[in-house]
Amino acid sequence: MRDAYVVGAGQSDFGAFPDESYRSLFATAFEHALDGTAVEPNDVDEAVVGTLGVGGRQLGLPGPAVTEHVGLHGVPTTRVENACAASGYAVRQGVQAIRSGMADLVLAGGVEVMTDVSSDAVRYWLGVSGETEWERLSGTTFAGVYAQMASAHMREYGTTVDQLSHVAVKNHANGAKNPHAQLGFECSLEDASSAPTVADPLTLYHCCPTTDGAAAVLLASEDAVDRFTDARVRVAGVGAGSDRVGLFQRDTYSGVPASRRAAETAYERAAAGPDDLDFAEVHDCFAIAELMAYEDIGLCEPGEAGPYIASGATRPDGETPVNTSGGLKSKGHPIGATGAGQVVEAFDQLTGGAGDRQLDAPEVGLTHNVGGSGGAAVVHLFEREHDWDDVEDGEVIA
Amino acid sequence: MSDLAITGVGAYAPRLRIEADAFAEAWGQFEASGVERKAVPEADEDTLTMAAAAADRALDAAGVDGAELSGLSLATTTPPLAEEELVVRLGSMLGTPKTATHHQFTASTRAGARALAAAFDAERAPALVVAADCPRAHPPDEREHAAGAGAAAFVLAPDDGARVVAHGESVTPRPGERFRESGDDRVQGLGVTSYDRAAFHDALAGAAADAGLDDPDVSAAAVQAPDGKRPYRATGPLGVDSEAIQACATVHDLGDTGAASVPLSLARALADGHDRVLAAAYGSGAGADVFLLKTDDPVPASFALDGEVDISYAEYLRRRGDLDGQEPAGGGAYVSVPTWERSIAQRHRLVAGRCRDCGALAFPPEGACTDCGALVEYESVTLPGQGTVEAVTRIGRGGAPPEFATQQVRSGAFGVAIVSFDGPDGGTVSAPAQVTDHDTEVDDDLSVGDRVAAVVRRVYTQEGVTRYGFKVRPAGD
Repeated sequence: MRDAYVVGAGQSDFGAFPDESYRSLFATAFEHALDGTAVEPNDVDEAVVGTLGVGGRQLGLPGPAVTEHVGLHGVPTTRVENACAASGYAVRQGVQAIRSGMADLVLAGGVEVMTDVSSDAVRYWLGVSGETEWERLSGTTFAGVYAQMASAHMREYGTTVDQLSHVAVKNHANGAKNPHAQLGFECSLEDASSAPTVADPLTLYHCCPTTDGAAAVLLASEDAVDRFTDARVRVAGVGAGSDRVGLFQRDTYSGVPASRRAAETAYERAAAGPDDLDFAEVHDCFAIAELMAYEDIGLCEPGEAGPYIASGATRPDGETPVNTSGGLKSKGHPIGATGAGQVVEAFDQLTGGAGDRQLDAPEVGLTHNVGGSGGAAVVHLFEREHDWDDVEDGEVIA
Repeated sequence: MSDLAITGVGAYAPRLRIEADAFAEAWGQFEASGVERKAVPEADEDTLTMAAAAADRALDAAGVDGAELSGLSLATTTPPLAEEELVVRLGSMLGTPKTATHHQFTASTRAGARALAAAFDAERAPALVVAADCPRAHPPDEREHAAGAGAAAFVLAPDDGARVVAHGESVTPRPGERFRESGDDRVQGLGVTSYDRAAFHDALAGAAADAGLDDPDVSAAAVQAPDGKRPYRATGPLGVDSEAIQACATVHDLGDTGAASVPLSLARALADGHDRVLAAAYGSGAGADVFLLKTDDPVPASFALDGEVDISYAEYLRRRGDLDGQEPAGGGAYVSVPTWERSIAQRHRLVAGRCRDCGALAFPPEGACTDCGALVEYESVTLPGQGTVEAVTRIGRGGAPPEFATQQVRSGAFGVAIVSFDGPDGGTVSAPAQVTDHDTEVDDDLSVGDRVAAVVRRVYTQEGVTRYGFKVRPAGD
């Protein structure tokens, strides 16, 4: 099976943009993805677009609706819906298309506009990915389900509110260095722990915002990659998993089994493990989600995530920096664009394009994208094959 | 007279109370004489949920299963719907057979007594008669000041228990004393004191005479109580003394419980071991029923009538929906009524499944076994309704999904738990459940590991159709 490479990746700013449309945001992401590559629009063989759709605009056929806008009408386009993991799965589908031989150049991305409808309407759409008939009709919300997971994690392992707050402190510090971030300001531990409660024990700072934004990733086959770029960022491993949509039917509430399965598969395919990671972008829709991710992708043992983050291990200067982009918490969470947005950060880090957030010569990075409260998860491992000496200011000079 | 006897009684009142003083503080005075405090339904309670709570207790006390019932009657002046037989949903909550008679009585505060009389006459056994009420009126109206809440239920069977030894009824046309116009949810009356009292007196006196009761010689008399004074005006026509009325009165603590007024007092009298009890129900129009009951032993009973939480007048108005805002836009978690209907056995009475391959419990009982993955037809099992909190959060004001926003306006933040429900023969199965009757301001915190019990409440209303289903409350008793 032939390998797939990321040849370009870009995103729009994440935030609230009354003057932008879902199409203009996607166009911006696409343009940024093309930057520094030799890809022309007519090179694209296939497009995969992740989006949940939160009403207010095109609900059916949103994929072709954005690809036509960037001049790709005619290109086979598929919309992927897996809640917040939509574009993580879009990237995975793109990799499949390349590995199968059906395509040499794939555009995989995602888009969401969430801030132009009423807060009640947003709450409705956020809730559609929770298990509807039982979980949601018990009166819970998206935050409520993660809060239930937090209650179980705290009970089982003694995890504390301050440990949750460390996620916010770290990710805001990272996001403050990311020009694309929605909430690019720093916060203190006290800010986070003493903020108003959204769903006990989660405070406002333990929850990501709602966001407009788009992200795009260009994937090429190993046969075609050299035509488009001198950078060689290989998709080293892909893994995915699903689970019961309702938390109440899962084997555990204090972890995400779909993430574990996805990570195990991705590591196996890449012949790598957590020790090989130089950084990770994980799905931190809520602070507890990042802590569970540490355990599910093997950065630490189950139950150890609280002390692990408090030790500083996942700060940019720690043993495995996590969410250098600011994560969903600070960078923002435009549902359908989030998974591809994580790949943008991984690509930037592996090509030296991460600006003030640039890590020192990373070689392997992981992205971890979760749908709903864990009904779907997808993990990618990316490996740099080009030499660092060939890179300058994010441009591969070869 | 009927071969049937009352073999078990149950009673329920919401745990919220408002004191007469709280009304006096808001209005300068309290208009419902003799009412010291009254019960107030939670935002997710109505006459159907209160009926179910009382019915469960009566069945429990009598040792009868809902599936054994041949007849079920529901009496209320305040059905949540003006048309559509809610007794059918009550039957679903209790698991009554499809071919049992399901009858509903309404339009009069003597509907509870009418339901009892009809069940005694029908001689279908076992039968369950349930009366539940929570009348309402305009805020300044004395009827609103008096309006309380409660439910009582009686199991009738051809066994030892309380028997009716005399029954009489009488009507007298007296329009205007108490009525509710079509399309209105508030009772009103012309307030002509002498006329009103005469209607009450004449109807009861006529029914007592029809029953042939000159001197009933009872130690307890359950008399219709639209307020705390009116029943004591019936001593003359009924031939009972004030002490007998006082002995089983519930109006002083629960308020006017409408069609459940006489049933609640009767239940209390029978449970307290009175061997001769008079029951005298009155409804405007006017009409009355008077019964004399005799029993050798106290009737087995299960009551939940104690007040637990005092609320202010403002909280009272919120609970009653007088301060509701607009329904939020944006739709809700839309589950179509036919889809909901397919899960009614689970919502109403916690019917789970047992995997025929591995024996694990599944909830809801559909799809692949959550334990072994087998695609099997589950063996149907009913969960007893007790469980342990496995995960819990609290949804604060403004954070609720749109379909729960109105409830939150009325009763504030609510808990949402995942509960590990006990199986009927060991094992557990998990389900999400909203927490009700739990207010962190006055109750202990609810944490992982705490025990809870299931109760049927209103879940939400969409397209005019209220969905009823189980929630959980802290397991207090």
